[in-house]
Amino acid sequence: MLKIFVSKDNLPRLVDRLMADNQVLGPVREGEAYRFRALKEARDLDLNFQNTRLSPKDLMHPQTDPLFAYSLRKDDPEAGILKELPRQTAQRVVLGIRPCDAKAFQLVDVNFVTDTYRDPWWEARRNATVLVGLGCTQPCSTCFCTAVGTGPFDSSALDVLMTEVEGGYLLAAVTEKGEALLQDAPEAQSATGEMAEAAEKIALEAAKKVAKPFVIDPLKDKPQTELFGAEFWEEVQFACINCGTCTYLCPTCWCFDIQDEVQGDRGVRLRLWDACMFPLFTLHGSGHNPRSQKLQRVRQRFMHKFKYYVDKYGDGPACVGCGRCVQYCPVNIDIRRVVAMMSASCVCPT
Amino acid sequence: MSEWEPKIVAFLCNWCSYGAADLAGVSRLQYPANIRVIRVPCSGRINPKFILAALRHGADGVWVSGCHPGDCHYIEGNYYARRKFALLKSLLEHTGIDPRRLHFSWISSAEASKFAQVAREVVETVRAAGPSRHFIKTLPQGEAAWGQATAELQAEVV
Amino acid sequence: MHAYTEKIRDAARRLLAEKKVDGVIGFRRGTLPLMNEPVFVRHVDHVDQLIWDGNCGINLANYLTKRKDRVAVVAKGCDSRNIVVHIQENQITRDQLHILGVPCQGMLDRKGILRALNGREPLEVEETDSQVRVSGEGFQEVFARREVLQDNCKICIHRNPVIYDELLGEMVEEPTDVDRYEDVRRLESLSVEERWNHFEELIASCIRCYACRNACPQCYCPTCFVDESRPQWVGKSLDPTDTRTFHLLRAYHMAGRCTDCGACERACPMNIKVRQFTKKLEKDAKELFDYEVGIVLEERPPLDTYRPDDPQDFIK
Repeated sequence: MLKIFVSKDNLPRLVDRLMADNQVLGPVREGEAYRFRALKEARDLDLNFQNTRLSPKDLMHPQTDPLFAYSLRKDDPEAGILKELPRQTAQRVVLGIRPCDAKAFQLVDVNFVTDTYRDPWWEARRNATVLVGLGCTQPCSTCFCTAVGTGPFDSSALDVLMTEVEGGYLLAAVTEKGEALLQDAPEAQSATGEMAEAAEKIALEAAKKVAKPFVIDPLKDKPQTELFGAEFWEEVQFACINCGTCTYLCPTCWCFDIQDEVQGDRGVRLRLWDACMFPLFTLHGSGHNPRSQKLQRVRQRFMHKFKYYVDKYGDGPACVGCGRCVQYCPVNIDIRRVVAMMSASCVCPT
Repeated sequence: MSEWEPKIVAFLCNWCSYGAADLAGVSRLQYPANIRVIRVPCSGRINPKFILAALRHGADGVWVSGCHPGDCHYIEGNYYARRKFALLKSLLEHTGIDPRRLHFSWISSAEASKFAQVAREVVETVRAAGPSRHFIKTLPQGEAAWGQATAELQAEVV
Repeated sequence: MHAYTEKIRDAARRLLAEKKVDGVIGFRRGTLPLMNEPVFVRHVDHVDQLIWDGNCGINLANYLTKRKDRVAVVAKGCDSRNIVVHIQENQITRDQLHILGVPCQGMLDRKGILRALNGREPLEVEETDSQVRVSGEGFQEVFARREVLQDNCKICIHRNPVIYDELLGEMVEEPTDVDRYEDVRRLESLSVEERWNHFEELIASCIRCYACRNACPQCYCPTCFVDESRPQWVGKSLDPTDTRTFHLLRAYHMAGRCTDCGACERACPMNIKVRQFTKKLEKDAKELFDYEVGIVLEERPPLDTYRPDDPQDFIK
């Protein structure tokens, strides 16, 4: 596959050219944190970041997503008929996404694109987007991507992998979509073998820096019910205040709620992020709540990611080790500790 | 916007201010028709949610009226209400809501002329403040249907 | 300040051994620098988990709501005031509690320190009474402790517990020269439109995760107004109107109940200064009703009482 080199000075020119035909999104510094935003100009792009505070999942699954609009006007012959609102179709390039965050899209794909149902909103956004990932040379102390099956230079969910090498970036196409993007780039030169070698070395070094706080393999064979009934949940849940920070910052948490909002005689049907941490998420119309207790909700989040997902899809876990929940949990519930307990509770075959 | 008329939601307590409105009616007192009355059992029943909901649904002003202190049908409901209103009004103004949009009064059921008088005052003050837009929701995604609905709601003149 | 750790452990050990309490609520060392985790210790063997340092900013009164058992709880000034409010509001009874009071020198502002480090990751933190030494890969920074306290701690005038069963250290001196409302007055001096814009900007990054709500000990309604659907008082979208409604109503629920413990700001992942809403209410409650929250157990909260001559200049 095509590999090109772009010097740091030339990168803005490349971005400018991409912006002519695509919507280009990238990490932008906002105050003290970074966030993925549509770039207004090439210089907004700031690649000197460890990772964004919010995961880029809202690029595919916006927190508020208006799906349909309808009229309730009595004299409107089409009153009450849902009309689909336009979907994302414009081509987008996401520059500088971390390999872990891109991997998260792939993990969430199994939920939105299945044999029986293909979510048109998710799929449209996914298809319209080219992911240019930036390999991670300075993982945070809270990162554990390699423990959950991805890594700082994992290109498996990317279209292009960018590696910062001396003087610039090596851009390696991973998919055909990526190759098409890199072709005919006057700002670039073709990469030399030495560059590719240097990039590989950087990737290996980076992977070594990532901590591996637990081993997940034993979890696969552990019966769900045993983990479900484990005693340690009581301890894990104590500190939890049931806010939605972990789920809202998580790149793989996909749960949502559908709500109609009516103003006057018009309405909109919205898809909104929801979270298993909130009691309302599971409240039935009857008033019964199968997860009325904090313990049940806390357990659900970890079990979903590390057990149910794995068992259901034979893949995963549904965690990419970005460490956001570790850094931002207001009461320091550390997923690394919890998963270590989950796997330690396994009776592992020696 | 020359045709614009302010819309005011008035929460009137059942025992005093609502009676005053009634008396104003049977006494043929004139007051502007910009007021939509919602009858509540007591001014103590007013929850800040009601006031925000009124603004969210397009009210340009909110007026809450109850019995004079000491005259509450429930003995002390309006005393509690008075404390709540003091803090609420101050908080809303502090966060940037025009003080001209929020009004409180004590009007007994015998004070029909005070009712008409305060109604005029409230309407004129809100009129001077102009249409309230701060709490009218428009989805940032700017879907045509939604924006249109809001515009129509605002333009609606009764 | 670290001397409390041993005293907390001793007290916990004694209380558990004598079966005076079913458990002890305190902190254990966090997995991150500048973070500790609230913990419930039930057994004497686990007492050594308990620690105390400048990273115990989470308000432990939050873990007392509607408890049925008898517990010991470690309480700094603000926690103790929230415990008072909890008792006033019948969320727990006094005799269910054994309060281990810890006079407090202020809690460290983790976000402020992270901001000062400007992207460098702290890996180790050493704290003394006057200094905080933060080190990471290739750097070391020393901060004066008082410079890196949480905003609310910098203006705190109730560092000592107001209610306790045993006090685990000498009372500290309460500052008397603090201007608690300087920031509120600054906002008050702006025009209405400027204030609207100020708050609009303040909450623009809110993601509605409700960490501010849930971190607050005083937020314990069985059904929060944001979850009410008939009628629905506030939309769930990120529309600024919805966000504003949420913050206004959340703040108003704190009227006459907020102790300015800073839990909300501490919890916010987006670093929104949500105390700007509640501090105004605190100032008003003080000025209008001469009430300070959570000081006197027998007093009723200001919205649960009245005086015939309460101010009413704003009422026609």
